[in-house]
Amino acid sequence: MTGLLEFREKIKQIYIKTEFLLIPLMKFLLAFATLLTLNKNLGYMTRLDNIAIVLIVALMCSFLPNSCIVLFAALFSLLHIYALSMEAALVGLCMYLVMFLLFFRFSPKDSVVVVLTPLLCVMKIPFVIPLAVGLICGPASIISVGCGICVYYLLDTVTGSAPTINAMGEDETTAKLRVVIDAILGNKAMMVMIAAFAITVLVVYLIRRMSVDHSWTIAMVAGVMTDIVILLIGDLLYDTNMSVVSVLLGSVLALAVGKLIEFFRFCVDYSRTEKVQFEDDEYYYYVKAVPKMTVSMSTKTVKKINSQTRMSQQARNASDRNVVMERTGARTSGSSRASGNRGNYRGGRSVTVNSRGMREDQGVDPDDFEELF
Amino acid sequence: MLNEERIILMTQLAAYEANEGKRNEKIDHFFRSDYIAVQVLKSIVSSSIAFALVFALYVFYDFENFMQDLYKMDLIAFARDVLIRYGVTVVAYGVITYIACTYRYSRVKRSLKCYYHNLKKLNSMYRE
Repeated sequence: MTGLLEFREKIKQIYIKTEFLLIPLMKFLLAFATLLTLNKNLGYMTRLDNIAIVLIVALMCSFLPNSCIVLFAALFSLLHIYALSMEAALVGLCMYLVMFLLFFRFSPKDSVVVVLTPLLCVMKIPFVIPLAVGLICGPASIISVGCGICVYYLLDTVTGSAPTINAMGEDETTAKLRVVIDAILGNKAMMVMIAAFAITVLVVYLIRRMSVDHSWTIAMVAGVMTDIVILLIGDLLYDTNMSVVSVLLGSVLALAVGKLIEFFRFCVDYSRTEKVQFEDDEYYYYVKAVPKMTVSMSTKTVKKINSQTRMSQQARNASDRNVVMERTGARTSGSSRASGNRGNYRGGRSVTVNSRGMREDQGVDPDDFEELF
Repeated sequence: MLNEERIILMTQLAAYEANEGKRNEKIDHFFRSDYIAVQVLKSIVSSSIAFALVFALYVFYDFENFMQDLYKMDLIAFARDVLIRYGVTVVAYGVITYIACTYRYSRVKRSLKCYYHNLKKLNSMYRE
């Protein structure tokens, strides 16, 4: 466990140091993956299905706010749908506008969830989302998860209805509209998925905030069970053709991701829980304090012996200089010991340099001298 | 001599100001009733546009039959039906907005109260 905690601390340190670079990089990767997936799955507008355009837009997204990823993804999907059928694009636009006007107002910061939900649905691992959202975000994020599922099923419906739409004539405008709307409204799998994910997020959120021991683990298990049960009941009632194996495998993966999130966000030691009770004039206080698992980073100390600058060394041409290097896995040198540096030798290698800069130790690289100054 | 407690407090305050505090300050400029009224008004506009979009889709969904039945149907009853649905949508969304904004406003007030308390604490640290 100590090794894992040290590893976590190292990752945290790396993140803190490279945050300015990592966040744009992650945004870039998310936007790139989203747009690439859209092009691959829809791809009706051939002009958009160009890696250069995707790269440029993803690069723009890396420096713009998160909501811009949603905006560009919506734009890309609408343009693709428009290339297929203007009527389908009209339905898509109406759906996006309704979602934007009614739902995004309550959770504007969850744009990443809105993008990630359809992306993970395409990857067939959407079960990670409700668990992760329940653990990290609040109940308001249910709206974002629901919107993400709606977007996925809209695009899925359009892709599924594409042959039918293509077979229709130019003048069958209302028929095309009807095909898309019927397919979306009659999609029971979407309704079941929204209900299952919304209840799972709520269950996970409520349990993880309880003051019982191992609340996060209990929340994860309860969330996964709730998700599976609702999805299976939905499958029985509405025949949604949900694959039981994929649901179970996805839930196991969700649990693994949940444990990973717990490790980084809520790593506590329940064995050292303290319960204290005290009072003031107005209240009695029953306090439960659970210490976090932390480990201090091992520090490396570099000991400099006889450290001198190059300038001062050059000034002292008359006398020899003794330098000692400590390096892991360094070669031992017999000649250095012979030159009288035994007292400074600490398992690295000892190099003696004479006044003319000539090496006495032949087994040492010339670069080693540069590192000393 | 560096005062560690003061530095921690200042860092927390700066982090709050940079992120959550910026949005909370905007909300704090309003009185409670004004803030909720503005948000509910926005909701009415939003829900009206959303309803219009959905209604337009409904009309286009069966446009040919709708145009054929337009002269036969009782237009007043149809308009009343649409208006009732519109009213229910707007009122329901307005109520949800009212509840959400009331909760948000009280949370912002609590958060800012804590922030101002910490500012006072920081100020007193400088006077020590």
